[in-house]
Amino acid sequence: MSTATHRTTPSTPGAEEPLLRVQDLSVVYEPVGAPATRAVREVSFEVGRGEFVGLVGESGSGKSTLGFALTALSKPPARIESGSILFGDVDIASMSAEELRTQRQGGFAMVLQAGMNTLSPVRTIRKHFHDIFAAHRHVAPGDRDDRAAELVGRVSLGPEVLDRYPFELSGGMRQRVTIALALSLEPQLMVFDEPTTALDVLVQHAVMDTIRELQAQEGFTAILISHDLGVVLESAHRVMVMHDGRVVEDAPSEDILRRPQHEYTRMLLSHFADPRAEHVALPGLEAPVAGTATSAPSASSSPAAGGGLELRVQGVSKSFGAPRRGAQPVLAVDDVSFTLAAGGATALVGQSGSGKSTLAKLITGVEKPTAGTIHVGDAEVGSLRRKELRDLRRSVQMVFQDPYAALNPLSTVEYTLTRALTNLTDLRGNALRKRLHELLETVGLTPAAQFAAKLPHQLSGGQRQRVVIARALAADPQVIIADEPVSMLDVSLRAGVLALLRDLRERTGMSLLYITHDLLSARLITDDILVLHDGRVVESGPTAEVMRHPQDEYTIRLLDAIPDPARVHGARPDRGDLP
Amino acid sequence: MRYMLQRAGWFLLTLWAAITLNFLLPRMMPGSPADAALAKLAQNGPVTEQTRKAVEAQLGVPDGNLLQQYLDYLHQVVTLDFGVSYAFYPEPVTGLVLQALPYTLILVGLVTIAAFVIGTLLGVLAAWKRGTWMDALPAVGGSFLGTFPYFWTALLLLFFLGYVGHLFPTFGAYSATTVPGFSWAFIEDALYHAALPATTMLVTSLGGWIIGMRNAMITTLGEDHVTFAEANGIPGRTVALKYAARNAILPNLTGFGMALGGVVGGSVLVEQVFGYPGIGFLLFNAVTGQDYPLMQAIFLMITVSVLVANLLVDIMYGILDPRTRR
Amino acid sequence: MSAMSTALTTTFTASIRTVWGNRKARIGLIILGLFVVLAVLAPLVAPYGPEDNGFERNQGASAAHWLGTTAAGEDVLSQLIFGSRISLLVGFGAGGIATVISVLVGLSWGYVRGWLGDVINFVVNMFLVIPGLPLMIVVATYLSNGGISVIVAVIAITGWAWGARVLRSQTRTLRGRDFVEAARFSGERAPRIVFREILPNMTSLIAGGFFGSATAAILAEAGLEYLGLGDSTVISWGTMIYWAQNSNALLTGQWALLFAPGLCIALLATSLTLINFGIDGISNPRLREGSTGR
Repeated sequence: MSTATHRTTPSTPGAEEPLLRVQDLSVVYEPVGAPATRAVREVSFEVGRGEFVGLVGESGSGKSTLGFALTALSKPPARIESGSILFGDVDIASMSAEELRTQRQGGFAMVLQAGMNTLSPVRTIRKHFHDIFAAHRHVAPGDRDDRAAELVGRVSLGPEVLDRYPFELSGGMRQRVTIALALSLEPQLMVFDEPTTALDVLVQHAVMDTIRELQAQEGFTAILISHDLGVVLESAHRVMVMHDGRVVEDAPSEDILRRPQHEYTRMLLSHFADPRAEHVALPGLEAPVAGTATSAPSASSSPAAGGGLELRVQGVSKSFGAPRRGAQPVLAVDDVSFTLAAGGATALVGQSGSGKSTLAKLITGVEKPTAGTIHVGDAEVGSLRRKELRDLRRSVQMVFQDPYAALNPLSTVEYTLTRALTNLTDLRGNALRKRLHELLETVGLTPAAQFAAKLPHQLSGGQRQRVVIARALAADPQVIIADEPVSMLDVSLRAGVLALLRDLRERTGMSLLYITHDLLSARLITDDILVLHDGRVVESGPTAEVMRHPQDEYTIRLLDAIPDPARVHGARPDRGDLP
Repeated sequence: MRYMLQRAGWFLLTLWAAITLNFLLPRMMPGSPADAALAKLAQNGPVTEQTRKAVEAQLGVPDGNLLQQYLDYLHQVVTLDFGVSYAFYPEPVTGLVLQALPYTLILVGLVTIAAFVIGTLLGVLAAWKRGTWMDALPAVGGSFLGTFPYFWTALLLLFFLGYVGHLFPTFGAYSATTVPGFSWAFIEDALYHAALPATTMLVTSLGGWIIGMRNAMITTLGEDHVTFAEANGIPGRTVALKYAARNAILPNLTGFGMALGGVVGGSVLVEQVFGYPGIGFLLFNAVTGQDYPLMQAIFLMITVSVLVANLLVDIMYGILDPRTRR
Repeated sequence: MSAMSTALTTTFTASIRTVWGNRKARIGLIILGLFVVLAVLAPLVAPYGPEDNGFERNQGASAAHWLGTTAAGEDVLSQLIFGSRISLLVGFGAGGIATVISVLVGLSWGYVRGWLGDVINFVVNMFLVIPGLPLMIVVATYLSNGGISVIVAVIAITGWAWGARVLRSQTRTLRGRDFVEAARFSGERAPRIVFREILPNMTSLIAGGFFGSATAAILAEAGLEYLGLGDSTVISWGTMIYWAQNSNALLTGQWALLFAPGLCIALLATSLTLINFGIDGISNPRLREGSTGR
């Protein structure tokens, strides 16, 4: 499938007349009752016909705002403040609403971020196509059904999806339909705004392949907006890096990869690594080298605080009641067994629906297993009663995925931590306050007194996640379960939080169960790995070994789905050491 | 299908609960409504044993056998036999109610449907033209009219258009000279008499629909599928109606049942003002005459009508939202 | 806890700013403020006592009686001013009680799982579909002349269900948030999670529900009084219209007697509805004032 992507040189972008010329464009946000902010600042660039340009940046960099401006979809409170966007030789600001509407056929199209909501929930896919054909009359009424079927075929879907409603399709299928709809406009320019962000890794990979193939076949000009430098580098001929509303670097992908000029680009690149490599390192964080990590780590050497507890999962299954009578019950976890050694670190890797989060709920006693036993130290989690379960919270704690949701927006850091300390420890008064400040210092939030008084919205994502970790540490737990703790964070913040988790484990000797879909982070902070697929463990072993020499077909697919710009741009010699 | 069965089951369950509530209500009240009722009846002449039993089944006796009374009461409900009214002695309650029912059903039914359609359209327009006078006028005007007490609006219209302007009749559902029947003359006369009550209810209930639809529509307009439809060059009118409004109407429909209860309540006041011989006016007469059996029967009738209307709305919802058809 | 109070104060001032920033809500707050001042200062503001009936009857407007006198020889303006007390009392009393019930039911209903939730669901939906005013009429008839407290109780009991439903669905949303799960991991117990973690995050919905119930209560009270089902000796806007109607004010042409109290009811109810425009903007930022640029 990925053969179409093997291009080392851009397919001669039109040297004559650029398709898109952006000059000194600034976009402001002017919300009612709040100060205005400038999201895009004096941006200028050109895009030639047939080019595939990537637009990469972290959250808040203004990349999506720019995308909406380019396709004339900016809505209040966003407003184009100054500058011009020339499409062909027409300034899109000069177009009337009706001109703008009619030019969307054969002009510029937009594919929005994959979500539940890009398609109207009460209209069939066929109706979506017919609405577009009726709006532009570029397909004769008699040919419309055939054309719709052909278009969904282009994105590898069968004609039967035409009579489905959006809620009857999977996320990946919905995103393919969205692409086919945009394609039906026969656009010259297609802007993809985070087209695969909400999708699973394997689906993401397949959808990106489709986008690349379509672009190669149809020859439309593409702008791919993404936070994921890997995805962009793998697909685009040219990359623009956005930071703080400005384009800080604009260069061919190969140059970005090999000779990044701007400091910010270099920083982004430094957070990008291949988990399959022999040596894997991010700034301030280096993975154990393959072969040396099989023995239990420094747990015995520094049992400073609580030390770790062994976590033993034996033959655990969990089925949920059938959603409807007559249907099969859903087997979320299917006969899973593993042992996390005291002081060890194990990664639980899988896509959404693989059962990894259910397993976390079983281990923490939130749900009861249908079969099998789970031991934390001597306690059997499944048999604990409510009171005993509360006691278990002293030894088993959880770090949540979304730091924006895991803190009560109305509670100060001090309140959040005080409640955990009051409930789970015997500390009171001054001793409690002292411990609270100690916790904040442990997670790197200094000066502690200043952070204690803050509300979540006054903290950055990374700082919030540190507060979440501090709360989990309140009772000196012996086991920490971290459920995708960095997946909601910007790339540049991830390494810091991961390093914190690793250091904590080394210092206190606690055991860490790290749940993730991201293989790179698993490689960096764990010793052992379990790959979960459809509720079953398909592969397990030392993390570095599994990454470098995967045995199971599913693990191989997961590893292959990782964007690999080097494969496209030949920056590194092909690894011959893969089996 | 599953959804429809669920709604039908829910309907039967609430119907039973409403009937039972109607049974319990007079029994939970202090004093003995039944004794009061029997005393009233006695003023009109001797009370037969049959009438006494009917009243007791309906309103309860202090230390009677509750289960037996409940069964008698259910029998009454099923056979639609609610005894004799004493405010309109010796008319049977059922006859009075059935006589009044068509007037209210037609008045409230038509007004509700009209208010829903007009209010929804204005709400769509307001949201689509947000920030312009087409938004401000219906939103503020509608909510201002919506806070008018029903009876007050009715009195104003009655005073200005009836007493002062002599444009509309001031009392009743038809002229004394017209004979009720299925004739064009009667229908014309009935519509003429219904104009003011209908206008009152339309004006007062419209605001709620406008605001509800406007807010739902504004929320929907911010959703991705609307942006995507615009990005695909689908004309504004199609986006507004087929995409945004089509989705926004769903949460609004859910509020229909609750709103209906309010309109029915308002109709009681409106009918009283205009002396319109519907269920509401009858209820008012029952209340002022302390005619408990009649009052209970009317309350039951109103509740059941609202439940039926809710069932119809649920069915409509099922048709409009494909997600219920799983 | 001081930490909590500062946090709440911060959000509270921000909310006030959002509401005040909405033009409609600002007008509503000003009207409501005027009525409250009138009600509190009634003895000082009103030219006569509300029950002074020594004046000439059925008079039209004059310098001595700006709005004329009633059929019983009372000053209409003074009655109007004192009448605001009853409407505010019933509105805020019944609205307050209904809100408390809806908070208690809505939050526990949103938090519990299983059959208990189904039972509450049934009861709430029952209260929702039963037409409120007819039920109030029936109950008020049985409890004839029970006074204002009966009216408040009847209105509150029939008016809580909608709020409970709104709060329940919001509770369901919030209980799925990680911070609720995290609170459980911090060893918090259910009541504290519901009332300390979840409740403060729904203040705008609760405030909106309160003003909605208060509006409905004011209108319902006026309706009941108008039908003569309240305490007809109390001076309220509803009873004023009741007595005006009884003395055939329409036929005698004294329409101010009907017009003025009704307008006051409508204005007070409108002010509450306008305030809710602003509060809607807190719960749903998309509803804040602005245009779609069409």
